[in-house]
Amino acid sequence: MPSPFKIRTDSIKQDLSAGFVVFLVALPLCLGIAIASDAPPLAGLITGILGGIIVSYLSGSELGVSGPAAGLVVTVISIQEQFGNLEALFVAVFLSGLFQIALGSIRAGLLATFFPSSVIKGMLAGIGIIIAFKQFPHAIGWRGEFNIEDGLFCFGSYFCLHGLYSSLWEPHTGVSVVAILISTISVGLLILWERCKQGGSKLFSLVPGPLAVVAFGICTNAIASLLMPSLALSGAKGQLVELPPLASFSELISQGPRNLLSWIALPAVWGAAATIAVIGSVETLLCLEATDKLDTQKRISRPNRELVAQGIGNILAGLLGGLPMTSVIVRSSANIYAGAQTRLSGMFHGMFLLLSLCFIPHVLNLIPLASLAAILIVIGYKLAAAKVIKGVWKDGYDQFLPFIITAAGVVLLDLLSGVLIGTCFGLAVVLIMNHHAAFTVVRDENDFLIRFAKDVTFLQKIALKRTLARLPDGAHVSIDAGGAMFIDHDILELIEDLKNSADGRKIQIELRNFPTARFDLLSAFSSRGTHGHL
Amino acid sequence: MDTYKRLLMANKAWVQEKLALSPSFFQDTADEQRPNFLWIGCSDSRVPAEEITGTNPGEMFSHRNIANLVHHTDFNLLSVLSFAVEFLKVKHVIVCGHYGCGGVKAALSKHRYGVLDEWLRPIKDVYHDNREIISACGTLEDQANRLVEINIHEQLKNLMKTNIIQKAWHEDRRPTLHGWVYGLSDGFLKSLYKVDPGSPIDDIYQFEF
Repeated sequence: MPSPFKIRTDSIKQDLSAGFVVFLVALPLCLGIAIASDAPPLAGLITGILGGIIVSYLSGSELGVSGPAAGLVVTVISIQEQFGNLEALFVAVFLSGLFQIALGSIRAGLLATFFPSSVIKGMLAGIGIIIAFKQFPHAIGWRGEFNIEDGLFCFGSYFCLHGLYSSLWEPHTGVSVVAILISTISVGLLILWERCKQGGSKLFSLVPGPLAVVAFGICTNAIASLLMPSLALSGAKGQLVELPPLASFSELISQGPRNLLSWIALPAVWGAAATIAVIGSVETLLCLEATDKLDTQKRISRPNRELVAQGIGNILAGLLGGLPMTSVIVRSSANIYAGAQTRLSGMFHGMFLLLSLCFIPHVLNLIPLASLAAILIVIGYKLAAAKVIKGVWKDGYDQFLPFIITAAGVVLLDLLSGVLIGTCFGLAVVLIMNHHAAFTVVRDENDFLIRFAKDVTFLQKIALKRTLARLPDGAHVSIDAGGAMFIDHDILELIEDLKNSADGRKIQIELRNFPTARFDLLSAFSSRGTHGHL
Repeated sequence: MDTYKRLLMANKAWVQEKLALSPSFFQDTADEQRPNFLWIGCSDSRVPAEEITGTNPGEMFSHRNIANLVHHTDFNLLSVLSFAVEFLKVKHVIVCGHYGCGGVKAALSKHRYGVLDEWLRPIKDVYHDNREIISACGTLEDQANRLVEINIHEQLKNLMKTNIIQKAWHEDRRPTLHGWVYGLSDGFLKSLYKVDPGSPIDDIYQFEF
């Protein structure tokens, strides 16, 4: 495997063109995810630029692309709500970078495999639902705040009761026909684009769908402002992307937190940072696995190096005032499908983002939020699509229940609670399934054989206790532990109890295959196949 | 509990466990067997073929005798071989010996065991033909273990000399013959010899087809 710090330039042409395609995909996503996170669009772009230029260079993966991630939207929103400002978020991002470097250094890259995949799918589905719903106000040009927690259920009734229809034609509410027109047609366009791309059309795979949607949005709004200026979307009404005018490069790097040290003193900020680090790392590692599967050269990424690279990226993002970053699958797969060969392509995409911010900010400011909303609604739908849900359903209820509970928890409570509840539930399902047939009981007149078919833990205690209590007086019992790698202390005690009561009940006990080393308790019976008559 | 009863009880428990894993476990193999392997092993109770190879019912046809010998006049073994190769069409025949084999040790000694001595005579012949190699092996135990290995090789040669194997090799390019040895003290199987279909043997033993 080539060293990550050595850059191969022999495929520079392919990497340059792939980098440009990824830039076109990434630009609307960086802006859109920032808006979905209730953060300024600039914060998304900064992260995209750093993810491209710095993280691609350091990455443990040749083709993975990093940037602001849909999976962190919910976390970012709740951190802002908790602290009431952006500065705390940036400090938390900075600290999460430190956590990630630590995680990478202790080689925690394997930890992601400990989350059940049903829970991770459920988490993504929940995030998808939130992203999609959060975008509805933008999609219709609505200015007001929209809170997912109290909004989800009353969403429909709210707008009906307050007269969505009548407000359509009153510009001051912000609900706009043009926005609705742009967003609905854009959603249709994106779906169509996807279909045509799968159909193998050259044009549709060369131009990314999100870019076409953005171009369509800008043109439609331009036409609207010519024909019906009162209905056109405007920045003043918060319906367009708003990047602050940057006078110089130094202004770009002064967006970060000013009171870094005073925030670091707050324990709650560290908690927020840990949340970002855990979710960001899991998302990164999942993306890494997916990217490796797509890589035509079948290179294998190094998860621990990737965590360190992400950590450095997040430290810089925090200091410069960017959103948290992860490795992201949509951009990474776009990178691969566009023919990228090396990490150079990811770095080019970052440079293109930087150039666009420096030289064409006025063009970016023409992009209607409704266009970005359409892109995010489609992303949200993909995460929680019927296809995904059906796929998990087919895997059986032991997969589906944790999945749906995690998704519901993420939507109705918050991300961490959802994932924790889902994981506990998944664990419970595994334990209950394992509970079946841990031991076999057979009877022939007065002879009994109790055979441990697999590990017996305290979970089987009740069932075993019941079995032992039901033994008739004078029974001959053989207990065979041959199938168990592990026998819980509680179980040994239970057998000890039986031994103590055996005399009175005239029960004969014989133990087989109980490993002596673990079995001081019943030393009276001692080892393999010997008889312990009482 | 009487020891023989324990076997019947263990069988009941085994049936329950198998049915819990797959309700059709027994139906699946009740009508016919399609094993891929023929096992020719030692009768020693410490070398349970299915258990050490993790094979399920229906996967391995087997024949076991003292010291895993292939006598060219043993109608028991020849019938098993014929049925396995010509009717079951197994792809592999495994001759498996084991270190510390009592039969081999007996053949190395001068102790009289009655009719068993006649059965073990071919092992004495193997020793006779390889006396120099074996006696160079140090302790008596090492010598016996070397003889175990050479004996396995000799039984593969005996298989190659049979009509049954030569015909199957000629017509169907199968089965592959394997010589394995099992370690009583560590539980590991070791593959010593592998003879692919069509391998040459001494001209005098080769039949014309």
